[in-house]
Amino acid sequence: MSTRKKFLPRDTTSEFQRRFDFRSLFEFSSIINSSTDLGFILGHLLLTIMGKLLSLRGVVLLGSEETSFRIRSVRGLDHGLLGTEIVIRRIPRKLISVPATEGAARSRWAKFFSAHGIRTIIPMTEGERVVGLVGFAPGQIRRKLSIEQVEYLTSLANIAAVSIVRATAYAEVDLSNRALNRKIQELNTLFELSKELNAVLDPERMVKLLMFSVMGQIGAHRCFLSLRRGDGLVHVLRKIDGDIPAGLNRYLGGLKEPVIVSTLTGPSGRGPRDLLGGIGIEAVIPLRARNELKGVFGVGGRMNDRTYSQADLDFLSSLGNLAVIALENTRLFREALDKQKLEDELLIAREIQRGLLPADLPKVRGFSMAAVNISSKQVGGDYYDVIPLGGGRWVFAIGDVSGKGTPASLLMASLQASIRALVPLDLSLSELTGRVNDLMVQNTNHGRFITFFWGILSEGDGTFTYVNAGHNPPVLCRKGGGLERLDRGGLILGVMATQSPYDQATVELRPGDTLCLYTDGVSEAMSPSGEEFGEGRIDEMLSASEGDPVEAVKDSFVNAVTTFAGAAGQYDDITLLFLRREDA
Amino acid sequence: MSTFKIEHRENNAINVLDLKGYLDAHTAPELEKTFQSLIDTNRFRIIVNCRDLTYISSAGLGVFMAYIEDVRRNQGDIKLSNMSPKVFNVFDLLGFPLLYEITPDEADAVKKFQETGKPPKAGK
Repeated sequence: MSTRKKFLPRDTTSEFQRRFDFRSLFEFSSIINSSTDLGFILGHLLLTIMGKLLSLRGVVLLGSEETSFRIRSVRGLDHGLLGTEIVIRRIPRKLISVPATEGAARSRWAKFFSAHGIRTIIPMTEGERVVGLVGFAPGQIRRKLSIEQVEYLTSLANIAAVSIVRATAYAEVDLSNRALNRKIQELNTLFELSKELNAVLDPERMVKLLMFSVMGQIGAHRCFLSLRRGDGLVHVLRKIDGDIPAGLNRYLGGLKEPVIVSTLTGPSGRGPRDLLGGIGIEAVIPLRARNELKGVFGVGGRMNDRTYSQADLDFLSSLGNLAVIALENTRLFREALDKQKLEDELLIAREIQRGLLPADLPKVRGFSMAAVNISSKQVGGDYYDVIPLGGGRWVFAIGDVSGKGTPASLLMASLQASIRALVPLDLSLSELTGRVNDLMVQNTNHGRFITFFWGILSEGDGTFTYVNAGHNPPVLCRKGGGLERLDRGGLILGVMATQSPYDQATVELRPGDTLCLYTDGVSEAMSPSGEEFGEGRIDEMLSASEGDPVEAVKDSFVNAVTTFAGAAGQYDDITLLFLRREDA
Repeated sequence: MSTFKIEHRENNAINVLDLKGYLDAHTAPELEKTFQSLIDTNRFRIIVNCRDLTYISSAGLGVFMAYIEDVRRNQGDIKLSNMSPKVFNVFDLLGFPLLYEITPDEADAVKKFQETGKPPKAGK
């Protein structure tokens, strides 16, 4: 340039310079306007100025509030200065110089610039507003700025101001876009988790899914999940170092709302703040379902070191509640499933029982009969049977297998099969009972037993030979008064092999006599106040019903027992068998 | 039918997992299983190649969080490579580039392992 200067007139030099400056401004403008990257814009501004003036230091400050500016870009200065806040009360509206020595500078900000060798400050103005300031050290060759240079630099700063405003707005939009995207991501996570939790029935996997979702979305390294069981808490997930101190259980069990651990006050040492801090937990969130505390969810520090905001806690609450409700539903579903299984099993038991009981009572000459079996919800093991032996002889049997449900009904089936197989043998009832007992002992190995009564009736003369193996003694109600209990026999069936023979006894059923066989579902029926129906009532009812048809007697017994139990309901099978010798 | 697949291979004695398809709450347990088996057999230098990964959800990211400490404690690292812009956006949105090294290409990740053999950033 200096060579040109020699040959060109002075005003032409100036003209040439102007044109050069103009082109440079145009280039600068198009470069920084092509970018929305604030860092690039500021850097390019500094480099352009420093290149133009051959300056070695530059700084850009942007306004954050009214009089507050922050250092946003430096060249030739310590990068540690970035972010430093500088308060400037009287913001310069045009290029100003800063005194060379700190002592000469009047304001604090001028002293600061002076200390860092920045001697010129230019405001960057957009309309009326000073967007920021650019400052630089004097050039290495010409220390004083010409009027043209001042004009050039002022234009440069103002062009930059427009770009800065644009880039800042862009960054803000970008920031709110990211915030929005994070929200969308949170909703996606909630949606995905709820979908998956509904499809999974394994509680362990459900808890894992919750952990992954939290770790991924929140960026936490540590978390735990405790669920309420009775009065205590069960820790179903522990992604922490070590164990959850037992001293925390009471605090966690009483948690009402999300808590940031660092905001907790109280004594140090054994308080919740130190105990939670000790296992790296930064926030705890109570989880509720159906308005009850169902569990507590704890999260630790995050990879970006940010503290938990209210929005984060809200998100964690939603996520945790979702998981807790799903876990609770799974538990209820399992219970329902188990109940259904039990009910199916009972249905089978009831079918077996129904199949074993006689569908119709046979006709026995000179006798009338009535029988009923009402199985309870749980299905007890009641059994009764009437088997023809031929030659006018009949077997009447009643029994009660211990236990309920399918096992009881299967044992009952085995009892019936044994009886039916054995009765055709030409043996005494005593011997037959011994054999049946031995078979039952072989078939019952779980401490099950059977109370059993049976007898053989000869329809011709009304003799009735019986053996009572531990069953409620049937009652023989004589015509015209008098009750007899048929209690001769021996041990209940199925407990031990037959040692001594069962006693057998014979009674005679005379015309008008009624024999009543029943199970403990009748005598031990319970009233809501806890009173037993009892043998006394049976006796009274039998005595009072003399002469009534047995069918009617049966119905009045059933009525009496169900009325007596009332709201207490039926807990055991009810079986009744009436046999009456008709009046001649 | 699973919409997610993991293939395991070795590249210069470094374990490479090729992820394919959708990594979400439903498929996350598969990645978990794979990481667990690598750790159980003392293989801690892991590159996850995401070239064919079409989608990742927060639950998928959570699996990386769950294992990074274990791996780094054993002088290993989990590095990620070949992400599509869509997948990278999710990682970026949730701040994962702070903690994980994400390289454009698998070869870059291999080089980083060979240069240091140690994690570039200390785990917390």
